[in-house]
Amino acid sequence: MTLLSVLGVLSSAIFSGTSLLYTTLGEIIGQRSGIVNLGLEGVMLVSASAGFAVTAITDNPYLGVLVSIIAGGLMNMILGFLVISRRANQLASGLALMFFGFGLSAWIGRSYVGAKIKGLPRFPLPGSSNLPVLYSSLFNFDLLIYLVIPMAILIWWLLFRTRWGLGLRAVGENADTAFASGRNPLLIRYQALFAGGLLTGLGAAHLSIAYTMNWMEYMTAGRGFIAVALVIFSKWNPLRAIVGALLFSGAVAFQLLLQSSGIQVSPFLLDTIPYVLTILVLIVWGGTRRHTAPASLGRVYQGTE
Amino acid sequence: MKSKTFYSTLAVVMTTLLLLTACGPAATEAPPEEPCLIIGALYGGPLNDAGYNQAMHESVMAIKTNIPCVEIIEAENVPEEAGATSTMENMIQQGAGMIFATAFNHQYPALELSYKYPDVIFEHAGGWEMGANFANFFGEPPDTWYIMGVAAGRMTETNKLGFVASFPLGWTLTFANAFHLGATSVNPDVETTVAFTFSWGDSAKEADATNSLINQGADVITMHVDSPTTIISTAESRGVYSIGFQSLHAQEFAPEYWISGTGYTLGGTLTWLASTVIDGTWEPIFLRCSLFDGCMAMAPFGPLVPQEVQDEVLAVSAEVEAGTIVVFAGPIVDQDGNVVVAEGEVLTPDLMSSVDWFVEGIIGSPK
Repeated sequence: MTLLSVLGVLSSAIFSGTSLLYTTLGEIIGQRSGIVNLGLEGVMLVSASAGFAVTAITDNPYLGVLVSIIAGGLMNMILGFLVISRRANQLASGLALMFFGFGLSAWIGRSYVGAKIKGLPRFPLPGSSNLPVLYSSLFNFDLLIYLVIPMAILIWWLLFRTRWGLGLRAVGENADTAFASGRNPLLIRYQALFAGGLLTGLGAAHLSIAYTMNWMEYMTAGRGFIAVALVIFSKWNPLRAIVGALLFSGAVAFQLLLQSSGIQVSPFLLDTIPYVLTILVLIVWGGTRRHTAPASLGRVYQGTE
Repeated sequence: MKSKTFYSTLAVVMTTLLLLTACGPAATEAPPEEPCLIIGALYGGPLNDAGYNQAMHESVMAIKTNIPCVEIIEAENVPEEAGATSTMENMIQQGAGMIFATAFNHQYPALELSYKYPDVIFEHAGGWEMGANFANFFGEPPDTWYIMGVAAGRMTETNKLGFVASFPLGWTLTFANAFHLGATSVNPDVETTVAFTFSWGDSAKEADATNSLINQGADVITMHVDSPTTIISTAESRGVYSIGFQSLHAQEFAPEYWISGTGYTLGGTLTWLASTVIDGTWEPIFLRCSLFDGCMAMAPFGPLVPQEVQDEVLAVSAEVEAGTIVVFAGPIVDQDGNVVVAEGEVLTPDLMSSVDWFVEGIIGSPK
């Protein structure tokens, strides 16, 4: 294993972890307000296809990112309508949203499969330009990568250091009490879902417009569910989510490195490493005494008629 | 009040969506006269994937260009057996007299239907079953992989080649083996590393695998996945050479670091098959045709490939055509040193689909 391959794992973790991290941040906001969105996979797909299509049409990747973000917000509003206004079961609504997303994204992306787009421009990490090309190309990041960690810090600040965040968390813990103290749980949950959708859209945009520069049906391949697992892993804390997303995508990059380093272990087994790691972490971290999950997560707020 | 606004928004969104769907299927014009043959063609993936499905689609559409009186009904994204059966039944109800089933999973549904509809001719891409009105056709990729290997062996500076593969299947291993044998024939120091993504279409993992191979020093990347676009774009963005497979369109994604690539060009063969159905002389044949019969084609060389490399690659291609080079002629030794093809023997195409070994010099585990 050379220095290049070790740095390569880091670089891959950053590249493919970015979309996971944005999506996880989005889900953290939603869950902090008490709503589980199991439809993330569908939200990501619709955002990714819409953003990719707009990039292919206009040749402007930034416009594509913008459309992805908006699409993510709108998709989450569908969930919001179901679970907040219609008081439907969150898990069932989330799954329905996912299947709706499968179909809608396939339809949106249909004529753009195999389209060649100009991906999001990349800028070298300051100071890496004197390195040999193979090394400097490892740290040639796009804008969304540079913004992802500041975004995690911003979300943390919003949730834990502002009145809005306090209200949002209060609704997630006990909506009735929050209502009694003068907050509007319905409005706050809509806001949380919308903000979360925007972030999910950013994650999806990074996947299709920046990293793979490609649209394929069901290209998220389970990343929406991984993001839900990462929310639990990170204990609903945006800063811990950074570690989780990097760890998961680092594991993917590491198993690919193992595959191609010549060890004679079946690639079928190596391919399961990231998922086994996720399960292990959930087992080890799952049973802590302090409850970190928002207390009314998944519960329907009946309101005060 | 709040929910009223929401309902109005919802109404607007729904109306827009309905309007959009109405625009979808463009009004189809009735064909001016009775077609001489209706052909149904079904594909496992999207027709515009710049990969396998696009290559098959273009081959089928060549029939229409060559024989204008045929009518073609196409169905894309039919990956499963159940869907394939109902799609083909539907095409036959619409009058199809000939069916092209192009995905791996279409073989047995098509065979079953061939008993039910003895008057319809079924052709499957790459299968092995035969029947009274059921046969198959395909190109012969291993030769082309060997020739591409020669190009890769000459272009690499690090002596490391990278191969991104979906699954460790017999044909995929055969392609990687042929590629590596071609590369070592001109450059004995070359190593080929194979990385599996375990999906035919997980683009992010394809990008991860490509980057991983490049980070370990590979400076030529090739692949056996459905759509090569992400892998080729990623290699191009890292300033690394690429070699395409499936469709000649792959070249569009690597304007600078493209070496060459091969794709299926079965238009002539399918036209001939259709013409025999029209004049009633069709017979079930196990049809395999090569680069030299025009069933596959080599893409133009990229701008960075020196003239002498181009000449050498074409010379090797001529030798393969003449039979002076036989790709899988023994002795061939696998990674563990076992002789898998003995001296004086040749690996035959029927065994290539069940290969479970990598030749010596390939890094990666084949099972």
